[in-house]
Amino acid sequence: MTDAVHETTDVTVLLVDDNPQNLKVLYETLKDKGYRLLIANEGEKALELARRHAPEVILLDIMMPELDGYQVCERLKADPVTSDCAVVFLSALDDVDAKVRGFALGGADYISKPFQAQEVIARVKTHARVIRLERELQARNRQLENDQARILNSISEGIYGLDNEGRIVFANPAAATIVRSSAEALIGQNFFELHFGTPSQNLEALPARATCCQGQPENQRGVELLRADGTRFPAQYCSTPKWDGDELHGAVVVFRDITAELENEQALEEARDLVQEQRDQLAHVSRMTTMGEMAAGVAHEVNQPLTAITNYARVAKRVMAKDEPDLALLAETLDKIEAQSHRASEVIRRIRRFMKKPAAGKEVLSLAELLEETRQFAEVDIRNNDGGIEITVADDVADVCADPVQVQQVALNLIRNALEATRSADSSEPVRVSVTMQGEQYVRVEVTDSGTGLSEENEAKLFLPFFTTKDEGMGIGLPTCRSLIQAQGGEIGFLRPESRGACFYFTLPVAPQNAEVQAETSGSSEA
Amino acid sequence: MADSQQTVYVVEDDEAVRDSLELLLKSDSKPVKTYDNANAFLKDYSESMSGCIVLDIRMPGMDGMELQKKLNEKHSILPIIFVTGHGDVPMAVDAMKEGAVDFIQKPYREEALLEKIDAALAQDVEQRKTLGEKQEILRRVKSLTPREHEIMDRMIEGQANKVIAIELEISQRTVEIHRSRVMHKMGTHSLAHLVRMILSVKDLIDAR
Repeated sequence: MTDAVHETTDVTVLLVDDNPQNLKVLYETLKDKGYRLLIANEGEKALELARRHAPEVILLDIMMPELDGYQVCERLKADPVTSDCAVVFLSALDDVDAKVRGFALGGADYISKPFQAQEVIARVKTHARVIRLERELQARNRQLENDQARILNSISEGIYGLDNEGRIVFANPAAATIVRSSAEALIGQNFFELHFGTPSQNLEALPARATCCQGQPENQRGVELLRADGTRFPAQYCSTPKWDGDELHGAVVVFRDITAELENEQALEEARDLVQEQRDQLAHVSRMTTMGEMAAGVAHEVNQPLTAITNYARVAKRVMAKDEPDLALLAETLDKIEAQSHRASEVIRRIRRFMKKPAAGKEVLSLAELLEETRQFAEVDIRNNDGGIEITVADDVADVCADPVQVQQVALNLIRNALEATRSADSSEPVRVSVTMQGEQYVRVEVTDSGTGLSEENEAKLFLPFFTTKDEGMGIGLPTCRSLIQAQGGEIGFLRPESRGACFYFTLPVAPQNAEVQAETSGSSEA
Repeated sequence: MADSQQTVYVVEDDEAVRDSLELLLKSDSKPVKTYDNANAFLKDYSESMSGCIVLDIRMPGMDGMELQKKLNEKHSILPIIFVTGHGDVPMAVDAMKEGAVDFIQKPYREEALLEKIDAALAQDVEQRKTLGEKQEILRRVKSLTPREHEIMDRMIEGQANKVIAIELEISQRTVEIHRSRVMHKMGTHSLAHLVRMILSVKDLIDAR
């Protein structure tokens, strides 16, 4: 009679009695109550069934031949599989000693024979529920523990649990791998001694020390740690205090080996430097190209004052050749010669300033001044353009922080494009340059022309390298402008004006208040 | 007209170049008048101007080439010296084809410029003298009556008095009187000279 007779339920009740009559009564009492009932008529069989089915409740007769109820209970409690079963003793022995002994062996309850059906039902029900809940609770706990363990084991960062003294009380597998040891070997060792040797320096200054001792969280990068084998590695760690109420229980240290990271960063840094260098070179080439395009105009700009100087010099000679030289006229003429030679050297100075390699030095700049200078420079192109260039600067425009050479290159490029577009459209409208604030953080420069404008198809390709609508263009002007402006922390873009023409804009960050002006002595480099 | 004082007209947008050129020419005792753009000169222009133009080829607004075209349309005979910059030689060549007398590249030696200006002024005198003579001939031609003009045309074609008389159905005597008046009014005694005079202004007469 060992078969399971009630399959439909979760709660299993094992009935153990050597007396078939008693078993029958118990069975009759508990059947149809929703339990799965198992029956055993002797101790060994009861243990076997219990191990196999882990019943919630076992009704166990004490007086049995061979193994008695006490012995069965003892063995049930010793087996982890069955230790949590609720053992309810059944016996006619209605004395205190028997009860005490039963409880001492781990019994949960006691029912005296001859038993009342109601009592049996009530007690089984109670214990079944208790065990059920307990098992669920345990299952949940196990689940949680497993989850936590899985997380700690699978995490790639090393994790230490430290006590107040810095002794390692927990180490996850990643920690062991990183420091080339095993979790077992790590536990019990002193974190500070293990990873920082015997420090001659201030012990209190060691990483995570303040967290362990004073409960201050830390987060540091680039700390050097010793491995178990004596080698060293750079690490980033984060230590968090373990509080239990007000009481500090050491710290949790999460760390990782950043050797590869540092190498990657180094490589990235080098790549970035290379890109920057090439960008600078491209910008310089672009400036040279611009200068080449402007060569005729520049020669004209220099020739004008030279021509005037030649004329004035001849005038001076003639004045002096007279019997009574007009000294006032002579002085005036010499002054004019001086002014014209300044004018010529000013053209040269502008060119040299423009051609000079950028020092990549940002300074606090007034855009109004810079644009005025750019306008004068671009005037070399204006000579064949009736409209000229009109600059308007709003009153509230703040100084910006940028590299003057690079900003001028961008402005000159946009202005020259605009002049060319205006000219090719046979327009006499001026190129309009406006400077306004964009919010509080940026200054915005717009360059608007009344030229032929751009098709939408071309607009999309504007900033692509080697795209050009000019017959002799290389298509590096605008892409270079974009990289220059982005390097200044600004933006560059195109707007379609309502009327004809085109509008390009760029923004530059406003210089911080009271900014230290970078000592860039542009004068000395030109001397 | 031809005896009005010769002036150097400087059309140049660059203030310093203009001013220095003005001083230079004045110190060379040449009357000079300056303009800072082509339109200003065009406004001021009249047929009676004599001298030459020193014209900057590149200027904002109307450039030197355009001014030259406008002056050609007005049958100006003022010689033009173009002042060109670096890389403007192709433009200068075009200007020469349009009748400019010369061009000079900046920066120039002032002697070279003054030489060119003197040459242009001499050319202007020559042109004006020729023009003056032609205009004198035209003035004389204009003083002829229609009948006298008709008879002069036939004289130049070489018709004899008799033929003219028959064709015009007048007496030979009348033809002789007209002929004498034509010679008198045209200020010559020789038919060969008359023919040369009329041929020299033929284009001007035909243009009427």
